[in-house]
Amino acid sequence: MGKLSKYFAAVSVVLLVVLAVSPMKDFFREWKGYQYAYNKLIANLPQRVKPAGIGIKQIWVQKLDRVDRCETCHLGLKEDALVNAKEPFRSHPRIHHDIEEFGCTMCHGGQGVATEYKESVGNVKFWDQPMLPGAFIEASCGKCHKEQNVPEAPVLNEGRKLVQESNCVACHKIEGYQKQWVPPLDGIGSKVNRTWLVNWLKNPKQYYSGTKMPNFLLSDEDVDNLADFLLTFTAPPNNSELVPLPSSMKISSEAQKAKVIEKGSTLFGEARCISCHLINGKGGYVATELGKVASKVNADWLYNYIKEPKVFMPEVQMPRYRFTENDLASVVAYMQSEFVDYDFQQLPPHTPDPAYYEKGLAIFKKYNCAGCHQLQAVTGSSELGPDLTFVGGKKTYEIDFGNTSVDQTLPSYLKTKILDPRTFASTAKMPKFGFSDEQATAAAVALLSNSSENIPEEYIVRPKPAPHFVPQGEFGKLVKDLACQSCHVMNGTGRLVATDLSMEASQAQPQWIKAYFKIPYSLRPTLTERMPNFFLSESEINVLGDYMAKVFVVDTLDRAIPADGALVSEGRGLYYERYGCQSCHMIGGKGGYVGPPLDKVGSRLEPGWIFHWLKDPEAYKPQSIEPDNKLTDREAEALTVFLTTLR
Amino acid sequence: MVFSQCAGPGTHPAAGTPSKDSVAAADSAMPPLSSAGVLPLTYEQQQGKILFMKYCSVCHGEQGKGDGFNAYNLDPKPRDFTDPRAMAGIEDATLLTTIMEGGKGVNKSPLMPAWGGRMNKLEGEYVIEYVKALEHQH
Repeated sequence: MGKLSKYFAAVSVVLLVVLAVSPMKDFFREWKGYQYAYNKLIANLPQRVKPAGIGIKQIWVQKLDRVDRCETCHLGLKEDALVNAKEPFRSHPRIHHDIEEFGCTMCHGGQGVATEYKESVGNVKFWDQPMLPGAFIEASCGKCHKEQNVPEAPVLNEGRKLVQESNCVACHKIEGYQKQWVPPLDGIGSKVNRTWLVNWLKNPKQYYSGTKMPNFLLSDEDVDNLADFLLTFTAPPNNSELVPLPSSMKISSEAQKAKVIEKGSTLFGEARCISCHLINGKGGYVATELGKVASKVNADWLYNYIKEPKVFMPEVQMPRYRFTENDLASVVAYMQSEFVDYDFQQLPPHTPDPAYYEKGLAIFKKYNCAGCHQLQAVTGSSELGPDLTFVGGKKTYEIDFGNTSVDQTLPSYLKTKILDPRTFASTAKMPKFGFSDEQATAAAVALLSNSSENIPEEYIVRPKPAPHFVPQGEFGKLVKDLACQSCHVMNGTGRLVATDLSMEASQAQPQWIKAYFKIPYSLRPTLTERMPNFFLSESEINVLGDYMAKVFVVDTLDRAIPADGALVSEGRGLYYERYGCQSCHMIGGKGGYVGPPLDKVGSRLEPGWIFHWLKDPEAYKPQSIEPDNKLTDREAEALTVFLTTLR
Repeated sequence: MVFSQCAGPGTHPAAGTPSKDSVAAADSAMPPLSSAGVLPLTYEQQQGKILFMKYCSVCHGEQGKGDGFNAYNLDPKPRDFTDPRAMAGIEDATLLTTIMEGGKGVNKSPLMPAWGGRMNKLEGEYVIEYVKALEHQH
């Protein structure tokens, strides 16, 4: 044989060996090991579980253009018997969405086509959408669900609420969020004292722990200059003037003073300020804390503000109480004597820096105060921070992690940035919001849901367009003056702290509604917020009541209820014996105290409403916990007839 | 070249067993199944907790001890889920019927409402998961 033949023989052998590499690699696949282990595991189970065939398993979601091979190793996803198995064989928690329809990576992220552990989990090199850690999983819900209350996604809902309430859009453009109302700063020089302002700018949460204003971590010098700058704005907005307190306030005798304060205290209680304002930590969350307000504002301003809130704070949602001048003066006297900050220490007198105005203005512009606070002297706010509309799709290599040692992933970057904005760069301007760990996670989840993925429109759930109902005419003027829509919803517009009034006249009887304005007694036992008494005149109550009786009706709630005496006893039996309504409602002092007592329900509610409410509570008030007993028409009629006899 | 892709026998699992490292890593990354309030809740317990707080805690209490603020008004008192004697021998199916059809559905007091009109079966099962988690926390 020649040398050539020898070479040929050698090369042939090498070729054979090389050709064997491919089938050998396929024989020794990692996932095959998992599949054999799975079959071994289920053989030992008491339940009967179908063994897995050996081979790659994948879910191909054509509409979303994904191929997910997770099931190759995660074989027990749909097996109830494997709820307590070790990973990767554990069954998937029961969720609303079908795994076959959505695949895995749509919610979890990660490299779906991978079949090896190292290529799937954690920070896979060059894969743009790494797997989401469990704490952030709800961000994926938000990619499609754009509505306000996403079912089964509490962290996402909380996060979106935080982003909305913290007014992130003041500096960052984010589609889908609107700017919140923030007190304008015109006239602040005649409102607050310097010590309070300096303390506030240093640390807002110390005065009011629930404030949305973040801490800008300013140096003492910056705080001084900014305070001096702001205090130059003494002219109240709208070319208005502070009216002096009435002469009744200028009393000398202590006994008379005590009487005035007592009267003020009674009126303060009737006005139920605590329904919106926190007072020493207790009360409503809609407005600011009043527990130390006497150490913040001067009495003149307070009197003028309560008298005409929208003049001194444009667009504020505070209602205008119809106090007489002396009554209001007594309320102010009460507040000045009661709501004092006993730890208040007046700062030593301070000589302003000669260039305080320019320096203060520079700080005001640097931190974009005008993004939240309107100040007529400073026009034009710039959005200082990056646009966050698609921040969920930001690539890891685009992020500057600075000198920190955090996990180099997008979720951990967002969470750390929200918790402590200046860790990545000490020159950053973003203020510190004082969020807890859970809140920062929630806010990060909300931002992560702003993805840049191309999701087909049929998958996206959009919020229903919010109707913008602003009542007009006499009624409209009263609604604006009394800020009804800051607690009530009317035809889709407003805040749902109290009831939705859109069908109020079909629910409650008109004469009851009018009487309620005079004496707003508490109807439901467990509420903090209660309707205030605005001290309205008879004609104002008539305007409100007549409009509601004519407009806030829904014809489908009308129903003729038969006046059948036999139904009364049938209804009583259903009430007490079959459905046990007395577990939550009181009649004659006996029963549970969860829903309103029903002693006088026959003279309060319309029969048609009672019927429809009992048939389908979820349709009218989903936040209520009234059970839906799937009543027949006859049962609902019997209960209605029984209840309308209670007057 | 070609052989480097097939990194030697040390790192490849032999056909038949997954590599110990990968299984151990996967296992330690998962939190253990838990009881409420002591360790983190599973997804289903979390969903159940939300429903429990909305519908059940008023009578059964926030920790399921039968001491909600409405319990004072009720006779018989709402069940205490942390009491092993009260919960002995009750199967999941009974719990589900009680939730969906109320007390009268299991021949007990009608004071327990039927929630089947407000919750579907899956939501009822979430609540049961949370109740079972409460049982394990004394």
